[in-house]
Amino acid sequence: MPLPSLLFILLLTWFGGLSGCNREASYPSRPVTLICPWAAGGGTDRLARHMAVQLEGELGVPINVVNATGGGGVAGHMRGALARADGYTMTLATAELNILHWRELTSITYRDFEPLMQINRDDAALFVRSDAPWHSAAELAQAIRDNPRKMRASGTAFGGIWHLSVAGWLDVQQIEPEHLIWVSINGSNQSLQEMIAGRLELVCCSLPEARSLLDGGMIRALAVMSEERVDGFPDVPTLREQGLDWSMGTWRGLMLPRGVPADRVQKLREAMRRVTADAAFSKFMQEAGFVAVVADGEQFGTMLEDNDQRLGGVLKGPSFSAVSRQRIGVMFFPTLIGIGLLLTIAAVWWRGELRGSAGQRRLAGSDLLKAGAALGFIMLYVLAWEWMGFVLSTAMALAAGLILMRVRGHTALIIAVAASAITYQAFAVFLRVPLPWGWLGW
Amino acid sequence: MIEHLAQAAQQVFLNGQVWLVIVAAALFGTFVGAIPGLTATMAVALFVPMAYWLDPVAAMAGMVTMVACAIFAGDIPAVLLRIPGTPASAAFTNEAYQLGRTHGARRLLSLMLACSVIGSFMGAAALIAIGHQLAYVAAWFSVAEYFWLYLLGLCCAVLVARDRPGVAVLALLTGVALSTVGLSAVHGQARFTLGRPELAQGVGFIPAMIGLFGLSEVLNNLIGGKRNDHGAAAVDEKSSDNSGLLRLSNLLHRKRDAVRSGMIGAGVGMLPGAGADMGAWVAMASSGRGKRTAAQSNEQRDTNMICDAAVAKSASLAGAWIPALVFGIPGDSVTAIVIGVLMMKNITPGPSIFAEQAPLVYGIYLLFAAASLVLIPVGLAAIWCGGWVVRVPQRVLMPLIAVFCVVGSYAINGSYFDVAVMLALGALGFVYERFSIPLAPVVLGIILGGPLEERFIQTLSGADGSLLGFVDRPGSALLAVIFVSIWTLPLLRKLRSSQAVRG
Repeated sequence: MPLPSLLFILLLTWFGGLSGCNREASYPSRPVTLICPWAAGGGTDRLARHMAVQLEGELGVPINVVNATGGGGVAGHMRGALARADGYTMTLATAELNILHWRELTSITYRDFEPLMQINRDDAALFVRSDAPWHSAAELAQAIRDNPRKMRASGTAFGGIWHLSVAGWLDVQQIEPEHLIWVSINGSNQSLQEMIAGRLELVCCSLPEARSLLDGGMIRALAVMSEERVDGFPDVPTLREQGLDWSMGTWRGLMLPRGVPADRVQKLREAMRRVTADAAFSKFMQEAGFVAVVADGEQFGTMLEDNDQRLGGVLKGPSFSAVSRQRIGVMFFPTLIGIGLLLTIAAVWWRGELRGSAGQRRLAGSDLLKAGAALGFIMLYVLAWEWMGFVLSTAMALAAGLILMRVRGHTALIIAVAASAITYQAFAVFLRVPLPWGWLGW
Repeated sequence: MIEHLAQAAQQVFLNGQVWLVIVAAALFGTFVGAIPGLTATMAVALFVPMAYWLDPVAAMAGMVTMVACAIFAGDIPAVLLRIPGTPASAAFTNEAYQLGRTHGARRLLSLMLACSVIGSFMGAAALIAIGHQLAYVAAWFSVAEYFWLYLLGLCCAVLVARDRPGVAVLALLTGVALSTVGLSAVHGQARFTLGRPELAQGVGFIPAMIGLFGLSEVLNNLIGGKRNDHGAAAVDEKSSDNSGLLRLSNLLHRKRDAVRSGMIGAGVGMLPGAGADMGAWVAMASSGRGKRTAAQSNEQRDTNMICDAAVAKSASLAGAWIPALVFGIPGDSVTAIVIGVLMMKNITPGPSIFAEQAPLVYGIYLLFAAASLVLIPVGLAAIWCGGWVVRVPQRVLMPLIAVFCVVGSYAINGSYFDVAVMLALGALGFVYERFSIPLAPVVLGIILGGPLEERFIQTLSGADGSLLGFVDRPGSALLAVIFVSIWTLPLLRKLRSSQAVRG
């Protein structure tokens, strides 16, 4: 037997062994994906990565966190809900799940998920600068009533959870939500900074998010929108204490797509129960600045339904729909850019700047055909991922590509097999990027 | 202070665990940084669960080293394959790739490594010397100032473009236009999505970057647009460079430029929302301004620009820690994770951290110095390994790069839509290259387009629709004046010189 073929077989068996070809009947037998709808580095991401490590210890298979970001949570929640219901994809859902569908950004609702376990609830709180003249939520409300369209608030983007919390509070106080200007700033950190810089009067976000500025004496918390005072912040009164019936906040919980077999749900739920009962969990939650609120499937489901109704009430209420007619529309900026683009193209063309660089030959029709064929080939290769798995499709596509580039047959084969196996090891095993599984179990 | 410093030195340098973490983090950071599609942020996020079991100094050591190495390692694929490993390398990818081909990739990378180490030290020095005071400048910034800042950032791409500003503007606006696809962050409404939910997530700059630079190069090669078949860059190190262009000792003559770039990097890095990528752009735009001599060749100027950018992007890393430590407001996405880890260790960043956790703060300063030192051997080893890529023949390399582009764009979000974005922008890059339209401004446009629009709408709505909101604060007025003068001064100068000729 020639040496290259021997090498080929050796490599194949070696990586086969490494990747765990053998599929057992027991669940879970391969890595589980945990979808985080928010970017790496944020609070939700940190929580997801902690839960992944803890669950890994319980389940004995790798749990890979994937940050499916974009669209203000739309992308991640949609991917989680539409994933194959085999128990190998979980989602760390957040309160946005109950907002996005009311705003008609997605058709996904909490009903598309099987609630696994709620793990956190952070209540909305109202902050002002420490040199501001208001010392209670009532004084602040009066100021907003007396100065229509003078006071500015933020904490999140337009229509985000903190915006709805404030809108609901104003509703209860019978103040027109229009009286308060909501500046759409993504992220509580940036909003707080904007308030310190003097461009906002009010910020609404969770207490832990504002802790360092609160401890530094730069801002003051007026009220928190919870049922009871929050652990770790005994000095912040609730709205209820001030005689107002309004509570709102964000939540986080693990969910599965609807339709996962009951025994698998049960197995995951038990693992989660052990994780959340552990002392390490409560320690992590406290230190990471989350309020741990654990609720099992059924309880979680009831909470979701109630939360969804309340958010729908605010979003579809008459007062909020008046605010959502924003002064500067969504197409304003793209229109400006579009005009700029057209003017630039005209100017560049007129000045004759659009020339091919020296030394480049003109494109022939066959060149374009070649480039198009290459793009099509790559597209086919990517489509094959889901069907026959990453390793097999990569090896085949690479071998074909190399042979087309006139590399000798068995050299191409060796390179293809080695490269696809090494790529798989580097990404899927070492860096924990979940690459698609296929026929061979890779 | 001396006693705290001694205590910190003891915690950092006499602790076996810390050194172990530093070395492991350096290797890991270099590896992740060199892979297009995985950013420095990703490396740190992957490290967080491990940080849970480490003591605070070791955890900080891991993050500081990892980022310092990842940001340099991003240059390696940029020079060898023309695919920037991290967004910070996108600014000079094309120039660096061309220089690597003509003057030796290893030599160029060694020069860039030296620049990174210098930048890293300067960032640490800025953090130590003026960090505390500078943080209060950053606290002054509101959305209007950021609007001008991002606009100035975008202008850098045009300033870099020398004699053909028109096509640079065209590329830039293409990027900004692409950034408006998807859910508008500020309105929370979808646009240009054609009713497809996948489009709501918008055009990510990482798949865009990989497509524009990596895939378009593959297509270019395929149609035989490239000169030789041998290697991604010049092979023989000795014969390829006899001009002395990339000699390390040249850095000695550019001390003032290095200091300026370092200060730019640290200053830009300090501003929340402007990270290493912006630092590199601003340093490039300010490189060689004012003393443009005819004697300087284009290559010489490219080299200078690349060096300045490399210094600035490394210096900006330490800059980002300034607001994070002083206010608990992250300067970039990496320091956002750092704040999380600190809170996990029961340490709340904020003005009080300097009093309560002085040894830890000094420890972080020392760690930046240690990370710069570790970067030297690890970076050299990475360059040496990367050098092997150069020896692989083009016809073998191209299919591998294509696979690499696909996996890299898939890896960041695990999304097929990102792969589609990569393919589409690969085609766009291929077309743009035919018209000699630069590609780096497209990436900058995609990165800054979203934040620019956000700040624009926020400033307008904060002022209740009045345009005065853009200039009614001293800071924003100053930045507006700088913006206007950048555009009018060269025009005035041109006008005056043409009058002089006529008169």
